[in-house]
Amino acid sequence: MATAPRSLDTISLCSTVSSCPDRNGFYGGFQRTDKPKEPLSKAQIIAREKKWLYMIDNWSIYMSKNYKKIRDRCRKGIPKSVRPKAWFYLSGAYLLKKKNPNVYNELLEKPGNPTTIEEIKKDKHRQFPFHEMFLDEQKVGQIELFNVLKAYSIYNPKVGFCQAQAPIAAFLLMHLPAEDAFWVFVSVCDVYLQDYFIPGLEVIQNDAGILEGLLKKTCPPVYRHLQKHKVEPLLYMTDWFLCAMTRTLPWETLLRVWDCFLAEGIRVIFKVALVIIGASLSRHKVRKTCTGLCETLAVLRSPEEHIVEEEFIINNMMRLNLRVEDFQIEHTRQKARRAKQKAQQEAESSGSGNGHRRNMPTL
Amino acid sequence: MGAREDEYDYLFKVVLIGDSGVGKSNLLSRFTRNEFNLESKSTIGVEFATRSIEVDGKTIKAQIWDTAGQERYRAITSAYYRGAVGALLVYDIAKHLTYENVERWLRELRDHADQNIVIMLVGNKSDLRHLRSVPTDEAKLFAERNGLSFIETSALDSTNVETAFQNILTEIYRIVSQKQIRDPPEGDVIRPSNVEPIDVKPTVTADVRKQCCQ
Repeated sequence: MATAPRSLDTISLCSTVSSCPDRNGFYGGFQRTDKPKEPLSKAQIIAREKKWLYMIDNWSIYMSKNYKKIRDRCRKGIPKSVRPKAWFYLSGAYLLKKKNPNVYNELLEKPGNPTTIEEIKKDKHRQFPFHEMFLDEQKVGQIELFNVLKAYSIYNPKVGFCQAQAPIAAFLLMHLPAEDAFWVFVSVCDVYLQDYFIPGLEVIQNDAGILEGLLKKTCPPVYRHLQKHKVEPLLYMTDWFLCAMTRTLPWETLLRVWDCFLAEGIRVIFKVALVIIGASLSRHKVRKTCTGLCETLAVLRSPEEHIVEEEFIINNMMRLNLRVEDFQIEHTRQKARRAKQKAQQEAESSGSGNGHRRNMPTL
Repeated sequence: MGAREDEYDYLFKVVLIGDSGVGKSNLLSRFTRNEFNLESKSTIGVEFATRSIEVDGKTIKAQIWDTAGQERYRAITSAYYRGAVGALLVYDIAKHLTYENVERWLRELRDHADQNIVIMLVGNKSDLRHLRSVPTDEAKLFAERNGLSFIETSALDSTNVETAFQNILTEIYRIVSQKQIRDPPEGDVIRPSNVEPIDVKPTVTADVRKQCCQ
């Protein structure tokens, strides 16, 4: 803790902080929601809850024979009261927990890699700092966040701990008790975002190329604008993808997106990204004012409020003309391109000896 | 943004690098917005902000870039360094390990950044007097031996933050000015308001000239 005198004029918070939390637990920050959500009627909510509870009680039947019903209901949005349980089932975490009774507690008993533990400690207080669960070290949120991240780093030592995982774990802890959150987290990190967090971060580099390819297909003028100003995807998409949008979207939108993400996988993150990029830069007038890299990045990293509203994102996501095949085509194309690049790099490094080698931008 | 803010004589890109948790993001927010956040989120991906200062009557627009300090992120930060003319290499004076890793960050710069990039070593969190584990003299000597500028700062109480950025931007400006004096046909020192960023390209000829400050 700092020993210097801390006068108020040298320390300020970046947002207004309220004295009471909103209904989701936020005292401040951009994910705090002041306006009340348009309510469904009580009867409608109860009806939807009943449908979900019935579906959860018959989960394996729905998954094997009527997955489309699950997917469509997820796209409509899961009722708040049922959401934690629904996510637990959607992610397959309920199977992991059943298969691994007491493993979480055993993992917590182990010491873990000291370097990794140190890294986790540095970050446990830096997630959702305006949320009631994570306000300070004594709050159960930070304690359980540390526990979940530590347990995972031992469970999957190939990953250990990547900083981008922390907001995802924190987000899940806002919805689920620690052990259940842990197993959803395992599923997200090892299945939905498989290999994303391994040192070398190869997967997101591949996905950056895929995103560019899909953008070229869905919104050519925007694609050309980004190419012209050398706005590489890794300059704006890194935290979107690595954090699964948990730091990017307003709260209600984020919940809706995660309903879809857990039902349909990483494709949903791509679609959200394409909607944000497309909507932010689709107007010629906006592209004209973005005369360079920084102006363009600023627009992408702080999209207009209406662009990240839940109905806008969800509706436009559905409207994108993309099939599963399109993702596969781009994946194959990008894989081939990366293989070619690596071959070239190896040829250069063996041929040029001590020559200065700079990473060339992919075009 | 006001009209005055948009007009500048030079645009310099400066990158902030260093281990996770040393205070890079708060140095950025303190310099560009005069804000310090005790509860700042960890940086994942790339952040940037700008601010203009005056040097010798010229308006310098500083474009400061900030990114994740965790080691595995180095795999995806090559674009981050493109066009950077300055780097603030930040360590935490209360955590010796962050100072030990400075060598690695210097290697990172050698691999990805322009070889002529101006580097300043910054010991942040100077307010943590009782927790100091990196003696000032030791770091200062290391900086001298490696041809780096050196300063200690506190983003929390604002100590030397203004000075650090002013110093590196001034140093960059001096180098760019000297280049222009030596190569006058390339154009006026004073440039129009919509000037492109100065790109100090690597020396490709066999004649590798030393930086003026070395």
